[in-house]
Amino acid sequence: MDNGLRLGVFLCDCGGTLSKAIDFSAIKAELEKISDVTYVSISHDLCLERARKVMQEDIKDKGINRVVVAACSPELHENGFMNIIQAAGVNRYLLSMANIREQCFWAHPDKGKAAKKAMNQIGTAIDRARFLEPVEQTKISVNRDVLVIGGGITGIATVIELSNLNLKTTLIEKKTALGGKLNQFANLYPVRVTPGELLAAKLKQVTERQNIDVLTSAELIDVSGQAGNFTAKIRSGKKELVRNFGAIIFATGCDSQSPGQIYGLEPSNNIVTQSQLEEMIKSSSKVEEIPQSICFITDTSDKHSRVSSFSVLENALGIKEKSGGEVCVLCQSLQIDGAGLERLYRDCRNKGVLFIKFDIPPKILKQDGEIRIEVEDVLMSGERLTLSCDLLVVEETSMPPLDSKVLSSTLNIGLDARGFYQENNVHLYPVASNREGIFFAGNCHADLDLMRALTEASNAALSAYQLLAQEKITVEAEKTMVDPDKCRFCLTCIRACPHHAIQEFRVNHEKMVAQIVDLACQGCGICAVVCPAKAIKSKDWSDEQILAELELLGEHV
Amino acid sequence: MIVAERKPLEDIKEMIAGYKKILILGCGTCVTICWAGGEKEVAVLSSQLRLASKKNGNELEILEDTIERQCEKELVEALKDKVQQVEVVLSMGCGAGVQTIAEIFPDTPVYPALNTKFVGMPEGEGIWVETCRTCGDCFLDKTGGICPIVRCAKGLLNGPCGGTNSGKCEVDPEKDCAWTLIYRRLEQQGRLDTMRKYYPPRNFQAVIRPGKVETLQA
Amino acid sequence: MKAKGAFSPDIIAFCCAQSAYQAADTAGSMRIPYPENIRVIRVPCAGRVDVLHILRAFEKGADGVLVLGCHEEACRHLSGNVRAKNRVQKLNTLLQEVGIDGERVEMFTLAPNQGFRFARIANEINERIKELGPSPVK
Repeated sequence: MDNGLRLGVFLCDCGGTLSKAIDFSAIKAELEKISDVTYVSISHDLCLERARKVMQEDIKDKGINRVVVAACSPELHENGFMNIIQAAGVNRYLLSMANIREQCFWAHPDKGKAAKKAMNQIGTAIDRARFLEPVEQTKISVNRDVLVIGGGITGIATVIELSNLNLKTTLIEKKTALGGKLNQFANLYPVRVTPGELLAAKLKQVTERQNIDVLTSAELIDVSGQAGNFTAKIRSGKKELVRNFGAIIFATGCDSQSPGQIYGLEPSNNIVTQSQLEEMIKSSSKVEEIPQSICFITDTSDKHSRVSSFSVLENALGIKEKSGGEVCVLCQSLQIDGAGLERLYRDCRNKGVLFIKFDIPPKILKQDGEIRIEVEDVLMSGERLTLSCDLLVVEETSMPPLDSKVLSSTLNIGLDARGFYQENNVHLYPVASNREGIFFAGNCHADLDLMRALTEASNAALSAYQLLAQEKITVEAEKTMVDPDKCRFCLTCIRACPHHAIQEFRVNHEKMVAQIVDLACQGCGICAVVCPAKAIKSKDWSDEQILAELELLGEHV
Repeated sequence: MIVAERKPLEDIKEMIAGYKKILILGCGTCVTICWAGGEKEVAVLSSQLRLASKKNGNELEILEDTIERQCEKELVEALKDKVQQVEVVLSMGCGAGVQTIAEIFPDTPVYPALNTKFVGMPEGEGIWVETCRTCGDCFLDKTGGICPIVRCAKGLLNGPCGGTNSGKCEVDPEKDCAWTLIYRRLEQQGRLDTMRKYYPPRNFQAVIRPGKVETLQA
Repeated sequence: MKAKGAFSPDIIAFCCAQSAYQAADTAGSMRIPYPENIRVIRVPCAGRVDVLHILRAFEKGADGVLVLGCHEEACRHLSGNVRAKNRVQKLNTLLQEVGIDGERVEMFTLAPNQGFRFARIANEINERIKELGPSPVK
């Protein structure tokens, strides 16, 4: 058949190991019988530079225009092979791979059957190769300004990083002043400066920079557009501003909520929350004002927060050092995996802070204005202890910021089960949202201590920089695209796209159709499946390619 | 738009029993949008019918096509070649589409693969609800844009009835009382005096069926 | 050639590149065996698998089809695995209508490092399809 295709099949026997079961010469002979297979080669190590050079030469010399590689898993070297064929002058998407190692030879002990399966896999990859389509790359210009929402320490650190990278940033903060939780904390272990000093130092940097614009009493109302070209509506004081940005970073932090009527007790003078305690510590200059015996009770409701652990330990240590009175911490399982927390814990122990571990929540009673706690000490084999103290400090639960629900639905970014922003992938993309160009940093999506929050600020800034480093960004043009002739504008794909990457578009000043935004598309293909008019095609995972892989069904192994 | 639903496969199989070559024709307008008869659904039905006939050991060859609109003579006429090759046309359009094809090709049996249900709109992904009964005498200016003929169980024009119960209908307690909704809407718009007037019974002859609209050439 | 009397089912496994495909690789790397008659087709997301793909697989002679994707709430594309699950459910109806046992298609979720789980699923489905026998439309 003369279909203009010149397939090159490159077999790799993985250092000779696969040849133990698979007769590559026999396979080569079979493949050479196929009319559009121009060239078959056998290599021992396509992962090595030497063999790759040869492959590149072969593709050029033999005029190969579709490449099939039978080797290890595409998860390992697919990108590498795409680079080789591109260097050889073939569009990088004209590659099809057969996984004859991990998903054949290594998984099937019966080597005869493995060999038959390998032939089937290679044949399938060849069937698919016939339907591969080239995808071109194009450059689009982007707006290089960045919007950072949230003026706490994370937001401030983020804009400083972005400024260092020569990107113009706008920082918006709901309250009248910057600082967030720094305005509230009494001390900052392990940093040796006070929160006030740290904030002042950072703010000085912010004001000195020309490329940072700060808006206080400002809130984000709406965002339209896509990565590289967002249009944000901001309410600043009484005015409404419209500004354009290439990327948006949320650093809105978290709110905390006192567990309220926890243990059935009303808040009073001698039962306070962490924040109230911090206020007391900051305002009391005289040692006598600090109650003599203080009990902290923690992690009965919020098993997540390292901020909570920091607060408890920092304050316990601070009070112990200041007043020398009795300080006791009742905990179930204190989280101390933040930087410096283990050390802080030991410092507390060394200074004489008592730690009592419980399994069953303690009983707390108020008798004659005094607080009595009955607790079973797990480490003392459940021995019942009765303590009394002047002041009981209860933990707070961290809550997502108030506006996150509204912003999440306006911007179509996901929330997790607790209502915090959902990162794209906790391990691989911890600061990215499901939408291209929108990032998170700090406690608005995770439970972080100060050090980690600052790391995230850098991470988010760099992620935005990665997107906007050039004036023009290279994207794959129309890798997934809507055929405007077939599109019925039923809005199904626009509603279904999880990345909000499809928008409305008027063709030739007349017909409205759906159009996929190349920069934001993440190639899942969900739109192609849901389209009732079959108007959407994914060039790298087209229906034709997938169905071609079914051709060799029934050719038994 | 018109909302339709595919008939159960058993009914369709019965219709085409005994035939060996058929054309399954989709429609690119309303039924595509309500996921009933677009190109996608044509492909799914074809696949199912091929599997079913293979299972029963019958021969069945299926041609597939989708045109922009089945209720348009010129577009249907363009299918002449394909229709001549088959014994039966299985239309996945609404009733209007089925009849248009039947009229243009009177020698070929044309069967409906869909049940045409109502005129409506999407309520959520995959959910369509009836909103218009095509009564021919539109009353919506008086009811704040909410149709009591569709949404009131009794079709009242001067509602509510005495059975309205905390905003729910006495006939179907799951349903909202349409007239409570109408009241609230008119209240929102400051137009409650509209409800103080009495309206005469509905003109059931507003559309003499089969309906016809005639205008001068533009 | 099949051995006389032994039925080796043709089973297609649509594997999501973010999870199941890697799990299959993991099974291979750890040399955990599973039947050779399970053939993997790689897709970018379980949500890319169309009802049509599975119906065509049966038309081409598949005895069983697996759709393998990421665990609930772990889909990189948020709704892909949920959509796949819904589609497989719809497919059970479409197949019953045709007289094909809905048990021949199932969706499972797994993580990229679950090589054992992949092999276990592959083995279980293989046994199940062997019990059900060859597809009635083969």
